[in-house]
Amino acid sequence: MQLSKSKKIGALLATATCTLLNAGAQAQETKSENDWKFDTAILYYGETDRVSLLEGVISATKDFGDQHILNTKLVIDSLTGASATGAVAQPYAQTFSRPSGNGQYTTSPNELPLDDTFRDTRLALSANWTQPIYKDTRVNVGGNVSREYDYLSVGANVSAERDFYNKNTTALFGLSYQFDSIDPVGGRPIPLSTMVVNNGQFGAGDAGEEAFEAAFEQTRIDGSDDKSTVDALFGLTQVINRRMIVQLNYSYSNSSGYLNDPYKLLSLVNENGETQSIVHENRPDSRAKHSVYAQTKYAFDNAVADVSYRFATDDWDIQSHTIDSRLRYNLTETDYIQPHVRYYQQSEADFYRPFLNEGEALPSVASADYRLGEMTAITVGLKYGHKMNNGHEWGVRAEYYQQDPKNAGFESIGVLATQDLYPSVKAFILQFNYNF
Amino acid sequence: MNTRKIQTVKMPNKKANTRLFSALCVITALQLGGCANLGVQPWERDLLAKDEMALNADAVDIGLDEHIYFSKEGTSGGRSFAGGGCGCN
Amino acid sequence: MSDWKIQTAGDHIKGSFFCMASPCELLIDTRDQLLASHITELAAKEAKRIEQKFSRYRNDNIVYDINQAQGKAVAIDNETFQLLTFANTCFELSSGMFDITSGVLRRAWKFDGSDNVPDDATINQLVKLIAWDRVEFDQQQITMPAGFEIDLGGIGKEYAVDCVAKLCHSLAPTLSILVNFGGDIQVTQPKKEGQFWQVGIEMPVKSTLAAGGDTANYQTVMVKIARGGLATSGDANRYLLKDGVRYSHVLNPLLGKPIVDGPRSVTVASDHCVQAGLLATLALLQGKQAEQFLIEQEVTYWCYW
Repeated sequence: MQLSKSKKIGALLATATCTLLNAGAQAQETKSENDWKFDTAILYYGETDRVSLLEGVISATKDFGDQHILNTKLVIDSLTGASATGAVAQPYAQTFSRPSGNGQYTTSPNELPLDDTFRDTRLALSANWTQPIYKDTRVNVGGNVSREYDYLSVGANVSAERDFYNKNTTALFGLSYQFDSIDPVGGRPIPLSTMVVNNGQFGAGDAGEEAFEAAFEQTRIDGSDDKSTVDALFGLTQVINRRMIVQLNYSYSNSSGYLNDPYKLLSLVNENGETQSIVHENRPDSRAKHSVYAQTKYAFDNAVADVSYRFATDDWDIQSHTIDSRLRYNLTETDYIQPHVRYYQQSEADFYRPFLNEGEALPSVASADYRLGEMTAITVGLKYGHKMNNGHEWGVRAEYYQQDPKNAGFESIGVLATQDLYPSVKAFILQFNYNF
Repeated sequence: MNTRKIQTVKMPNKKANTRLFSALCVITALQLGGCANLGVQPWERDLLAKDEMALNADAVDIGLDEHIYFSKEGTSGGRSFAGGGCGCN
Repeated sequence: MSDWKIQTAGDHIKGSFFCMASPCELLIDTRDQLLASHITELAAKEAKRIEQKFSRYRNDNIVYDINQAQGKAVAIDNETFQLLTFANTCFELSSGMFDITSGVLRRAWKFDGSDNVPDDATINQLVKLIAWDRVEFDQQQITMPAGFEIDLGGIGKEYAVDCVAKLCHSLAPTLSILVNFGGDIQVTQPKKEGQFWQVGIEMPVKSTLAAGGDTANYQTVMVKIARGGLATSGDANRYLLKDGVRYSHVLNPLLGKPIVDGPRSVTVASDHCVQAGLLATLALLQGKQAEQFLIEQEVTYWCYW
């Protein structure tokens, strides 16, 4: 028998052996347990002087064998702190009514108006079931529900994926539907209505109070409103070689209904940049988004690199680029560190206005929410993970997230030139996770 | 039940024992259509089979991050389904 | 009932049990008897689990179901799938010389030292049932033509050695443990100071062999091993002798006949026992070119003619 390129046997045999021993061993492990695997985490997110969030997640997965997999997830989070309302800072003190109409708050001169009534607890549950339905084909169905004081969201998703070419290529198609119902504190503000602030103009005592409330109610719509979102996802995964796998996704999303943030405001300023009144925002009642996402994972001998890029565009004219990269570096067989860098950039929505000018006609849609404006954001983080002898794993992750809103070309007239209209938002993230 | 062969290699005539040993090139070339130059044989999945090479590795971390970015930025999703809304944007 | 035992041997502890028709031992670099007992007990369980699951001499396991299927599909689990995938790789890398469907040949060839060499007619009937490329399998099931039989004997013991070594390593990640199933060896990791383990292996000693000779003279050779795996393929006591020709028990699946002018025994050292075992078997299948093959593979080997 003729042998040539026989060196190849050695290398191929070596990798075949590793595959056999690694995959086979995993099979034994799952066979002996065959019960639930839990991934739990608790995360703290804190912005300097603004919002902070505490979130806990428990995700449980059970493999019933033969690729029948159930996953359930419970998330609880609690948000406190103050958020920017979209009103601009002034060299004078400003008074705003709270969204509920009960009470008001004052912002100091030269300070960005923040509303600190934004505190809420949310509970979310989701479940997903995967199973093969045909050779090389798997289907996934899932549902979710999420509840907070003023918000209810329910949704369902279904997707199918199929392997080709020795499982080197996988194609996925998915659809999801999400229904959200919003019942804001104090009812929904009438879009672009002027905020009613009690500066004493209603008179004193109970009569004055009632007059204020009546005027306030005039600007509110009772009851809840809703929005529906339909998403379609097309995905393609391809193994490039023994060390590398790539994924390419295209997704389309269409939301319609009440897309406003009922707590966000705009300042109506005169030619000198002085605020004359406060107006509630209004956004379009539909939004169509397209996004393309590409991800690569590369296995080094002691490390795994994960780099992804996402481009998104929508009919609000927001375009964004996101580059996300992680490098998991194995220090030993049981410990690893994972630095993380993310860069994000978006352009402003076409109805974004940092403030409105008194002289101009009121636009039909406008929002000063900096999250719809031009901005860049950067995240830098580091995670450390350790696998214990009993197979459990724990990890710690610390990140720094900074958002830099930018002036998208709006002249800061009059006194506004003396204000920082686009302050950076700086946040720290700390997460602890435990898997067992 | 429809059972299709997992390996699409056509083995040579048993009497042809002077076949070359360039296993990888031959097997790849004989694979059906398409991305014939990309991909791996089942026995080369040792690295790809590791947990950290899964495309949805660190799913919990990423889920938490996506929630933060969904509520602080104008764009969300793209990676997979969001799986749940909240009132934060 | 305890079918394993431990005994202290100087600076280490030896755990032993019997499995897969071989004496099995673990050399554990510790003096901790409780730990050594724990490891040995679990290792024995794992070895027996693999033997019970993949032995072709039983009538209560997946191999029996597969061999009795007569053309029907049989459901398999992930471990079986992985072994079949590996056997498939070996088939392809060896151009068909390593073929686990060659198990049917046991119906004709019984290597008991006698001179019962089967006739060509019998052999040719059986060779028709040796064709791994006609076997279809995937992660869920395997389908073979009727009359086919698989025999995982060629990789089973070495696989068990590697699995037990992996188990030992997970139980004692900082200890060096040598697993030895009748000459198929795997070391979990080197000893702390990098010293060697010493094991005795039965090898035919050159000076006592004559070409085409009679009873082999096997002696225990002390082998020093610090890491990785070692496996031996050889004819030991399994052979037929007729008209002065010695028929090895290693059969060429393409012809249905034993390799005639190959070495008596090949031992290979490699990263893993299953890898070493396959290289040793492949070397034997090369017959006259065994040593050349081993040189080309650039592995450490011992070849006895």
